[in-house]
Amino acid sequence: MLSRVADSLYWMGRYLERAENIARLLLVTEDFSTETQGFAEDLAQGVWKDLLAIFPAAQMTRAASPFAPLAVPYLHGFFLDAGNPYSIHFSVRKARENARSVREALTLEAFLAINETYLALETYETRGLADLPAFRAALTATQKGLFTILGAIDNTFARDETWRFLKLGEAVERLYRSASVLRVKLPALLAAEPRTDLPLYYTQWRTLLRALSSLENYRRVYGARLEPPLVIAFLLFDASAPRSLRYGAAALKECLEAIAGPGDLTPPARLVGRLHAGLYYGEGELMREADYAGLLDRVSGELSKVHDALAALYFVT
Amino acid sequence: MKWLPETKAFDEAFGREGGARAHYRPLVSILESFTQTEIERRERLQKLSLIDQGITFTVYGEKEGTERIFPFDFVPRIIPAREWERIQAGLVQRVTALNLFILDVYQDQRCLKDGIVPAELVLSRKEYKRELLGVVPPQRIYTHVVGTDIIRDGNGEYMVLEDNCRCPSGVSYVLENRNVLSRVFPEFFTAYPVRGIKDYPNLLLRALLHAAPRRTDKPVVVVLTPGMANSAYFEHSFLAREMGVFLVEGHDLIVEDNHVFMRTTRGRQKVDVIYRRVDDDFLDPLTFRRDSLVGVPGLMNVYRDGNVALANAPGAGIADDKAVYAFLPELIKYYLSETPLLPQVPTYLGIRPKDFAYIREHAGELVIKTTGDSGGYNMLMGPFASKKETETYVARMRKTPGNYIAQPLIELSAHPTYVEGRFEARRIDLRPFILYGDGIRVLPGGLTRVALRAGSYVVNSSQGGGSKDTWVLTARET
Repeated sequence: MLSRVADSLYWMGRYLERAENIARLLLVTEDFSTETQGFAEDLAQGVWKDLLAIFPAAQMTRAASPFAPLAVPYLHGFFLDAGNPYSIHFSVRKARENARSVREALTLEAFLAINETYLALETYETRGLADLPAFRAALTATQKGLFTILGAIDNTFARDETWRFLKLGEAVERLYRSASVLRVKLPALLAAEPRTDLPLYYTQWRTLLRALSSLENYRRVYGARLEPPLVIAFLLFDASAPRSLRYGAAALKECLEAIAGPGDLTPPARLVGRLHAGLYYGEGELMREADYAGLLDRVSGELSKVHDALAALYFVT
Repeated sequence: MKWLPETKAFDEAFGREGGARAHYRPLVSILESFTQTEIERRERLQKLSLIDQGITFTVYGEKEGTERIFPFDFVPRIIPAREWERIQAGLVQRVTALNLFILDVYQDQRCLKDGIVPAELVLSRKEYKRELLGVVPPQRIYTHVVGTDIIRDGNGEYMVLEDNCRCPSGVSYVLENRNVLSRVFPEFFTAYPVRGIKDYPNLLLRALLHAAPRRTDKPVVVVLTPGMANSAYFEHSFLAREMGVFLVEGHDLIVEDNHVFMRTTRGRQKVDVIYRRVDDDFLDPLTFRRDSLVGVPGLMNVYRDGNVALANAPGAGIADDKAVYAFLPELIKYYLSETPLLPQVPTYLGIRPKDFAYIREHAGELVIKTTGDSGGYNMLMGPFASKKETETYVARMRKTPGNYIAQPLIELSAHPTYVEGRFEARRIDLRPFILYGDGIRVLPGGLTRVALRAGSYVVNSSQGGGSKDTWVLTARET
């Protein structure tokens, strides 16, 4: 495969995954802030600000107005603002640009799905969205559009290099973003005492699970019982939840092995192998240490190295 | 349903007395069976389908990267089998002669020595590439893909307007138009035996494989595009996808050991045939334009040594020259000892003082073009230009008379076209595509372009033109 094409596919995978992450986080955050703003305004504001910590390079171009609902500037900024490099609009546009530049490598179904989702976003942006329900409806439709794209990819692509480089981008972005969400949310959650308001405390943990589309998966393993240590262990080390760190590392490892071929230990595969082994074999120790911030920083750091190693090996040849 | 046939020129669908021509009768009656609402609904479906599929082209000079859909008119243009046979034979003859002419220009220059074409006319053109003198392309083929523009005059006579031997574009729209029409108006196809065109990518690939210099089992073919910003990018990507070959940009290729390689995730891979959609001037910054960012440094050396095939071969552009065009009937006789089968438009050459004087005096009646341009750029339509426009144009011509030619205005034929609820006559032309591989093949039909503005003669997509599906009927027709 052409290095340029592999590079575009990798970024297409990353941008699609990123867009879906943003859509999910916006929906979950909006739920939480609407529910809590009446009795814990600081928390409701805090979760919106967390988005800026999860996407540190994001640029909000509209200032929050004290009169409008708090959610609107954030929703606009992360959903439709074409100037914000971490908005859904921006990400889908980039995914589409990458798709257009390698259209010959994609199936028609996948391209059509990307194009339609993008054109819908353009329409939202030009027409504007009137209020929170309008934002919600459009966001939900966009998330569905993204799932359609991913479904088209999974159902029509041959399992060859094209598919693998797409999945590679997806895996890197997913692991990186899950780590960022946990890095921002966990320390604050752990520092907060269950206070007097237990229902609110549990809502926060439940929201964290939803933010990583893991609530149903968690319940299937532990039932409705929300114990913070169980939630943490689940999000970090579960073997089959698609957004647990351990699963993410395994998926990434598998992708790299498939691309390199058997027995070829490439520099990125070496980095990912070590990362995966740490998460796989180190569960008990890491949980005892409970230095989650340290662990998550290490994961992000390693992923940056993986990205550079991939570029050197496959994209800049 | 209202039909407004053409009165000034040849109407493709209606005879002089106003009745539909025999081969248009079934179509007219099918269309008349639809209600206005139904037609409008179908038209909306069709537009949506083009937008969703991203079948677009880029317009230069507008906001960067503006994508537009190429307007599509759903009333198909129908060519009966007998008419097509004549066109096809004429095109095969023409492309054979064009290829021989280009070969000659870069080898012995017999046609110049024998005075068939004035030597200074050929040698002074920027499309004449002196660097390629003596280089023989693989299989002696220059013109792997030709798009020849054909029009019909007031009597319905088919005539050649120009040849495109460089990178003719539009074939992707031919294929997509058929797709769209058969989905939106499936009824049309029940009444006609329409010849298929879907085989084109296959035939193109075969022609390209035929050009491979290396005798390997699996020559590697790539499509070279200038990139996404190019107006025909959709087509480049479309053809690569349909042929199942790599779409590459200049920086994906690298020259090493006098061979061309592409940079892949598994290292370098040798390339045998490049279907390049990049102009000669930008192919290789070491040979042609040094500022080219879309080319491949060293490519021409590899080509010269016969280690890679380029389609179309560099230098072929000399045959597109609008002054060379004037000599084609002579060249057909010269190389093939045959009478030209397809007439062409009489042409006055600025290079001849007598002709130039005529052009100046009659500028108001003529269509004047620069010899090297295409796409309807730098053209004067005398009969429609203001006095001032004509004067300015003539003044500019005086500086380089040799760069201009002039032709009488041909009343292009017109075709029913759906415009705001009515079927109005609009001017059309036809660009068939001709492939030169182990033989010469003509894709049945081609791109029918239509001037969507009332009264306009300019069909170019860059100038507000649209297109139609083009049907060639099989001989079974009645």
